[in-house]
Amino acid sequence: MSGVVVTGWSALTSAGVGVDALAKKLALAEAGQVEKGQEIGDLYEEPLPAASGHVLTSFSPREHLGRKGTSTYDRSTGLAVVCCQEALREAGVSLDDEARPRIGVVLGTSLGSFKSTSDYTRETLVQDKPYLVNPMLFPNTVMNCAAGQVAIRFGLRGVNATIAGGTLGFLNVLRYAGNAIDRGHVDVVVAGAVEEFTPHRAWATHLTGATDVVAPGEAAGMFVLAKENTPEWAGTRQRAGVLAVATAYGPGGGDAAETALAGCVSRVLAKAGADAAEVSTVYTGEVEDDDRREYGPIVRALGHSPERVMVKRLFGECDAASGAVALGVLLAEERDSGPGGLSLLTARGADGAVGAAIVRRYADGGPDRG
Amino acid sequence: MARVVVTGVGPVSSIGIGIAAFAEALRTGRSGISPITSFDPAGFPHRNAGEVQTFDPGAHLRRVDPARWGRSSQFAASAAQLAVADARLDLTSVAPGRAHAIMGTTSGESAVAEALTAQIIADGFAGQDPALLTQLPANRLANAVSEELGLSGESLTIATACSASNYAIGYAYDLLAGGEADVVFAGGADSVCRWAHAGFFRLGALAKDACTPFDKDRAGILTGEGGAVLALETMEHARKRGATIYAELLGYGVNCDAIHPVSPDAPTVAECMRIAHRNSGISPSDVDYICAHGTGTPVNDLVESKAVIEVFGERPPPISSIKSMLGHTMGAACGFGAIASTIAIDRGFLPPTVNWTTADPELGVDPVPNAARPANVRVVQNDGFAFGGNNAIVMLGAPE
Repeated sequence: MSGVVVTGWSALTSAGVGVDALAKKLALAEAGQVEKGQEIGDLYEEPLPAASGHVLTSFSPREHLGRKGTSTYDRSTGLAVVCCQEALREAGVSLDDEARPRIGVVLGTSLGSFKSTSDYTRETLVQDKPYLVNPMLFPNTVMNCAAGQVAIRFGLRGVNATIAGGTLGFLNVLRYAGNAIDRGHVDVVVAGAVEEFTPHRAWATHLTGATDVVAPGEAAGMFVLAKENTPEWAGTRQRAGVLAVATAYGPGGGDAAETALAGCVSRVLAKAGADAAEVSTVYTGEVEDDDRREYGPIVRALGHSPERVMVKRLFGECDAASGAVALGVLLAEERDSGPGGLSLLTARGADGAVGAAIVRRYADGGPDRG
Repeated sequence: MARVVVTGVGPVSSIGIGIAAFAEALRTGRSGISPITSFDPAGFPHRNAGEVQTFDPGAHLRRVDPARWGRSSQFAASAAQLAVADARLDLTSVAPGRAHAIMGTTSGESAVAEALTAQIIADGFAGQDPALLTQLPANRLANAVSEELGLSGESLTIATACSASNYAIGYAYDLLAGGEADVVFAGGADSVCRWAHAGFFRLGALAKDACTPFDKDRAGILTGEGGAVLALETMEHARKRGATIYAELLGYGVNCDAIHPVSPDAPTVAECMRIAHRNSGISPSDVDYICAHGTGTPVNDLVESKAVIEVFGERPPPISSIKSMLGHTMGAACGFGAIASTIAIDRGFLPPTVNWTTADPELGVDPVPNAARPANVRVVQNDGFAFGGNNAIVMLGAPE
């Protein structure tokens, strides 16, 4: 694939709704004020494995979207739709009838809303009549619910793909979306990932040990992607270039996955025509300094040790959405990107899936294309 | 642009496992519908589904340990193993990183999700089995294929509901045509589950005994399951190794209704057909057969027929629904459709719509009722539509 540009974006994180909230939290963290999540309070009646997490405690889709059409949204869907609205607005996309068939949606997840499917199943097991389930909520049990509702809300009629990638979710999305643009299926993709905080996810991450070192979190991150020469309706500023994305698999995990990850790093450098020395920052899925499951193979592939940013320390374990949060942090930070100014986003899954993307942030939002 | 061909198919279905059994079942119009055994259907007024009751993962899997993977992943990996065998492909001869696994699904490891829900009800959230929780993420479907076949290329699971396999085959087409792959295993998998059975019933979209697409008295779907994987290669790669080429993958089209979560829209579906034709370089008059989405619900079959007539005119090509035999295999459905389309081209017959009794004058299509029909099939349109308004259509052609 050739590269794509980000013409606008938004993120919903435990910092709040939107880019400014994210930037504010990063500034606080820079000043040494790191939080390990917030009190979850009475968000759910069910017991939780911990009292705090990286949660949008007061989030209400209606506050941002109004009542119409939102009554059946589950939490994932609400996060995704609000985030998409913000991203389209940030990019300045004009949504007319000519543009809509040329705009796609590609959304990453682990398995959609486990709460929606599990609650639905529960009804079939505890009701006297097992079929007394709510038909209005049935669409929430399929994994593409959020992407479908995003399309419905904004009338986006191009490719509408939901990518179940788990930890790899967002890199899978960038790869798939880049292909869809490159091959001419659409001109623009609203690409992102979402993961909700529910008792189901909190317990799943807790019981599988995923959150031993970091609190569970929720987030959505959506990015308006277009070709460099895309018409003006796609947004007039270039915030960043996603120059190349590569994903691969190392059967059996372990060494094969490390080799595959190093291979992805080499491939994105080659595709982008970049030199390893230009990479100044890597955004990885690790949490602790001595965990080098991603950083190790990256350093070997690059031949030097760029600065490592571990966004889960600030925003929790957001699974498929963690990569989207990482790109948000990359774009929001007032970081001196150094000579070359290239960044890598990487991910490594529980089986053998790995991936890398190479990104260049344009200072001050890039050239005005108007 | 490289040309893309189908060199192997791996169906794991209620009407047969492997190409020989599956093709024979299509030719004879065999039904795979039976009383549900994978969950306790007591209390449900309707109790039939298309379960793969003879499935024995141990008979197919060499590297993937069934104990560590959910049923849908087992279907995916088994179907991939069958596709490799059918393609007579020695994977050690493919350059590392040039072979990929792209799988579609609606509900991923739905049986695992249900088992965990039963544990939550019995013992609370803390009572869930961590080993089961590790089987839950849906990306494991493609990973199971990559593990089983030892693939080091992309491993991607597309969860675009009931059009997901066509999405997967379409993305595979792009990888191959664009020079980023030599071989791709693409298709889909899903498992029969209690929640889908209940949900379709409450939508009024579940048939009692049999699925009767395009019939005047059609009453809805029956849920089904299985794994469907195609071995896709560039024509150059296939020719170089002397492979048998079943069919050519001509291209695909995708779009989204963006109107309603469950109710399909005929004009957008028609537009998706036009996109698929345009991307494949064919015109409607080239199409000999449409492998329908054909769920058997009153609205789907009406909308699909309307779209077909809008695109093809008053005398459209024959359109049959293999869901009449398999039930609705959800994320695997388009994969089975692509396999049936391949077999139709290779073996020269149209699979029938079984259980058909009464014409519906409102539809105006030829559903190939009840008996397979000999035909010289040069171009097939394989339809897929999904919740969320996600349309995906794949075009297959006879090899040249």
